[in-house]
Amino acid sequence: MLKIKNLHAKVAGNEILKGLNLELKAGEIHAIMGPNGAGKSTLGNILAGREGYEVTQGEVLFNGKDLLELEPEERACEGVFLAFQYPVEIPGVNNTYFLRAALNAQRKYRGEPELDSVGFLRLVREKLEILHIGDELLHRAVNEGFSGGEKKRNEIFQMAVLEPTLAILDETDSGLDIDALKTVAEGVNRLRSKDRGMIVVTHYQRLLDYIVPDKVHVLADGKLVATGGADLALKLEEQGYAWLEDGGIASLDAESAEQVLNP
Amino acid sequence: MSELAEQLATALPSDAGSGPQWARALRDAGAEQFRQHGLPSRKDEAWKYTGLSALDRRQVQLAASSPAPAPAPASQASLPAPLVDEGYQVNMLDGQVALQLGDLPTGLTVLSLADALDQEIGGLQDLLESLPDMKGSTHGFTALNTAMLNPGMLIHVAAGTDAGRLLVTWAASCQDSPLLINTRVCLIMENGAKLELLEQFEGPYANASNIVVQADIGEYASLQHVRFQQEPEDTVLITRTEITQQSGSEYAHYGFDLGGGLVRHDLHTALRGSGAKSAINGAYLLDGNRHVDNQARVDHFAPGCFSEQYFRGVAGGSGRAVFNTAVVVHPGADESEARQSNANILLSARAEIDTKPELEIYADEVIASHGATVGQLDEQAVFYMRSRGLSEHEARQLLTTAFCRSVSDKLTDPVLSEHISQRMMDVMPEAG
Repeated sequence: MLKIKNLHAKVAGNEILKGLNLELKAGEIHAIMGPNGAGKSTLGNILAGREGYEVTQGEVLFNGKDLLELEPEERACEGVFLAFQYPVEIPGVNNTYFLRAALNAQRKYRGEPELDSVGFLRLVREKLEILHIGDELLHRAVNEGFSGGEKKRNEIFQMAVLEPTLAILDETDSGLDIDALKTVAEGVNRLRSKDRGMIVVTHYQRLLDYIVPDKVHVLADGKLVATGGADLALKLEEQGYAWLEDGGIASLDAESAEQVLNP
Repeated sequence: MSELAEQLATALPSDAGSGPQWARALRDAGAEQFRQHGLPSRKDEAWKYTGLSALDRRQVQLAASSPAPAPAPASQASLPAPLVDEGYQVNMLDGQVALQLGDLPTGLTVLSLADALDQEIGGLQDLLESLPDMKGSTHGFTALNTAMLNPGMLIHVAAGTDAGRLLVTWAASCQDSPLLINTRVCLIMENGAKLELLEQFEGPYANASNIVVQADIGEYASLQHVRFQQEPEDTVLITRTEITQQSGSEYAHYGFDLGGGLVRHDLHTALRGSGAKSAINGAYLLDGNRHVDNQARVDHFAPGCFSEQYFRGVAGGSGRAVFNTAVVVHPGADESEARQSNANILLSARAEIDTKPELEIYADEVIASHGATVGQLDEQAVFYMRSRGLSEHEARQLLTTAFCRSVSDKLTDPVLSEHISQRMMDVMPEAG
């Protein structure tokens, strides 16, 4: 589904990504962990098409298409969804209205008929039920005055309605208390499907207690330096990221090294 | 004095017209003022950013102040389709009452101003004579309007009655008429009366109009005043609205400028009685070469009054918006509350917005806040919307409409609010 090959990227003249390789298959969830400044958010932003990121080398193929050639809205219409680390407040734009406009823009792009308000509300009710969230967010302006937890829940709700084939969750756990974290994680788990790939970018392991990934990658200094199974996250939690700077895999104890090399 | 003002002054009627003696005296005074000072120019502080070349280009002449004959059926077709169906409807054509539609609600009286002057309707003399200050060239349009006093209408709402909605549409009868229409609306609301006045200015023909609206809102009376303007790009619309509020009265103004070539609106409320509330809201959206100048002033004369000014503006193309608000809290008007907010979005490098909030306080225990901003669209929000599938154009249109929608959302009628929001979305200027 997604192939990232030797991706190099600059932000404001500084090289942030330095040859990142990643392959994600449909149905998989990959976690990307790493210390601050490793380039985790940069990756999400580049995949979604945010301005200000200069790709200097490498390519990103999404279902065979050159993703980097597409406008942000074309990527969305092709099925890419970024759950923002900091969802943007849009005063005056009703959440339901916005989401319906977005869904209909995507449907139009794909040559599907647009949903009228009745059909859309039916869809919304169905998704709210699946996610076990109330409808109080629907009537408010997009993210305006939302708590941190509400913003993240709204991102998951948008994801449920838009049904992307590739979802990138950028530090969706940051700033959440444990209950909000559980709600968000449950939502993500309900949206797991064999046709959908997900990349979960996180700084802490705790989200992965609730969303069990197929693979865990460690991103440090612009590259993936280790890849392992779900247990790798626990190791990181235990040992921190410092060992990466102290010689990487070679510095791990035998068991951890085995885990990293043979997930 | 400008050439245009000279011409207009020469064309003023030589006698003071018909009606009661006091009305003739008013016309004389207006004519005298106008002959002496003429029209405003950029030398007048309040007209610094607004020139009158659009009027020169139209080569306007004075329209006769005697009532025009009823419009022919053909010209009735030129009246704008009403924004909403509900309410009693009065169509003004070339500044005269042309057609009234619907069942007149109990307590509501609508007369042509000429008839009202002939009948010397109670309170009319006081209202007309109360118009403050026509002095100097700054108020040249008001002086001219007073010199031509006769066309227009009187609206009267009886004490304690709710007259519902009165929809007034304004239109010109023919294309490229050289006439400068002078007309006046007098609104008398007795104590405890209630009215929603919806004014609609909408082509199809470009015209030049000089309109003065005067309203006296009695004790505990309530006036909701919606002013929707979507005129052709050659239209010149000069309006002065003078509101006097008695104790416990409420005035809510919602102005929407979506069109016009040269639009100037002076809106003044005088809070004369304690506990009066005045909420003045407006949105202006302009592109092309449109010029919209809003001047809003509130005078707090009595204690315990509340005033709010809330305006949102969007300018694209080579559009220019001028916005000046002033709140003056006079001695004795203690425990007043005054809020001013004006935010603008510039969509193009050629567009210009001049905004100036003013606040003068001469009383004690006053709560006041004011702010004015001019900025660009939030690019983070544009990206956020695009990342969900909206095109860049849709995202920008939705954001700018939402910005102005904060004004239409204040309307109490959701149907009218939705109509106006949709109209704003349709005319939203493009970026660049």
